[in-house]
Amino acid sequence: MIEVKNVSQSYNRHGQRKTLEDINFSVREHTITALVGANGAGKSTLLGVMANLLPALSGSVLLDGTDVRRVKTNAMAKKVAFLKQTQLLSIRVTVNDLVEFGRFPHCAGRLTQLDRDKVSQALEYMNLTELRERYLDELSGGQRQRAFIAMILAQDTPYIFLDEPLNNLDVKYSVEMMKIVQRLVSELNKTVVMVLHDINFAAAYAGYIVAMKDGRIIREGVPEEMITRETLRAVFDFDFRIEKYGGKNVCLYFDNE
Amino acid sequence: MATESRKPYKARRVTVFVCLALLAPASVALYIYSRTYAKAWRIGARMTPAAFESIMGRAVPALIGMSVAAVLIAIISLLFQTMTQSRILTPSMIGFDSIFVGTQTLLVFAFGAGSRLFTDPYINYLLSAGAMVAISVLMYGFILRRNKNNIIFLLMFGLVLSGILGNGARYLQVIMDTNDFYQVQAATNVTVNNMNTSIIFLALPIMLVVIIAAMSRHRTYDVMSLGPDQARGLGVAYEREVNFNLVIIAVGMSVATALIGSLTFLGLLAVNISRELLKTHKHLPLFIASALLAALTLILGQGAVELLQGAVPVTAIINLVGCSYMFYLILRENRL
Repeated sequence: MIEVKNVSQSYNRHGQRKTLEDINFSVREHTITALVGANGAGKSTLLGVMANLLPALSGSVLLDGTDVRRVKTNAMAKKVAFLKQTQLLSIRVTVNDLVEFGRFPHCAGRLTQLDRDKVSQALEYMNLTELRERYLDELSGGQRQRAFIAMILAQDTPYIFLDEPLNNLDVKYSVEMMKIVQRLVSELNKTVVMVLHDINFAAAYAGYIVAMKDGRIIREGVPEEMITRETLRAVFDFDFRIEKYGGKNVCLYFDNE
Repeated sequence: MATESRKPYKARRVTVFVCLALLAPASVALYIYSRTYAKAWRIGARMTPAAFESIMGRAVPALIGMSVAAVLIAIISLLFQTMTQSRILTPSMIGFDSIFVGTQTLLVFAFGAGSRLFTDPYINYLLSAGAMVAISVLMYGFILRRNKNNIIFLLMFGLVLSGILGNGARYLQVIMDTNDFYQVQAATNVTVNNMNTSIIFLALPIMLVVIIAAMSRHRTYDVMSLGPDQARGLGVAYEREVNFNLVIIAVGMSVATALIGSLTFLGLLAVNISRELLKTHKHLPLFIASALLAALTLILGQGAVELLQGAVPVTAIINLVGCSYMFYLILRENRL
């Protein structure tokens, strides 16, 4: 259970120019929640505050009723896995090494048989067993993405936060990524919160959409309520054309006269 | 791209460690030989047991001093690289050793060369280590944390720091009492040939503390090399860890500098060659290999220099090789 209560955050010290202002919401369990909004709306900042990577200026984030600032970093890492867009690492590691890092919160690097089993399961689930001895820089973008997901699977947390996971991925890998995330929720019962840039990915895959603007949550709801011309205008200051496609709403952003 | 499996690397690691372990006694033997028999042969004298013993009385502390300094420099260089996420920076490159010269000069200038603060090696060490800890923690607070590990800022900081401290120290040395000046010179002009072996009993336990602190946390360093965000996500208290390690680095750096002076490129060479040899990101083998390699380089180099009658100091050779290697690294990696 993660609840965000009256959270405000500012990048400059005295708290003028808030990047988050009075945020209140509860994360829906076993669902993909998408944080959407224009650049600078505060989506990534909110995710950082929720994962306790950034301290909130005021207000609190409650994890199962406890303020995350009072949860030990290690205990937090057993509850919440956080992944930024797959960056290139400064070190050269194999897929297996990377996934083993996911067990660090549980075993502090001393892997037991249980940890090794979890690593193997995560690799198996992500279809990476054959590639486990390969180095990350020898993999394709999609395989590398899957290796990082395998790492946070090995971390074995109920919550998974993904910060702009589709950045730097082309369409094929983006769709593959979203399908994997969907499986994490439907098969493994995870709760996922992710920052998404493309409103259509949110519309197609998310179970719940939280729309932010200027550091505030201005609308939230299931995709059917959220993907309307009126709501999207309020969020993005832009008139989308909404079309029905395969039972879902799709937003078109060209030729909207 | 090559698809190497891990097996050859394990064999490779064993080979590297066996070679290093064999070379270490060989370098010690060469060093002792070149100071005793080679020298005697050169001047046409016979090596008597008494003369041998008297030379060993000076050679053994020198060997211990070089090993301690080299091990410290290698370990803190690797730590520093993990903390700054850079493969090229080492503490001496950003002017940490100038802090030592600065504190020595300031101590003598303010309290005189006869003051216990200066003459007592333990108090003196505590003060210069304290200054280094304070400056490195400030450096982290003001530069690294705010600018997201900006290496350029760090280099600029080092440039300014060593400029201010170097010139400030020189200014104070010019206006101070002549006798005080000679005392400062004696304390700060330590080199491989002129080691301050009087602090060896301080340096040894400090080396042990640094080794234990580094070795016992090697798994945490492995995770930290993934970068701050990833490491925090995996449950490492990143800020606390960095602060702790900066203290360790300052403690080790200050004793190494007081012992043997500034060896700008030794750490860079030892750590990066170990990385190349072992092809691993794991800190435990890297710590051991780079410590061995640094001690080996220093002792072997010094032995060779003595054998060839020391026209060029070993530090000059290490700096020349290290400097070229640094250019190579920058060009190859195309970044700092």
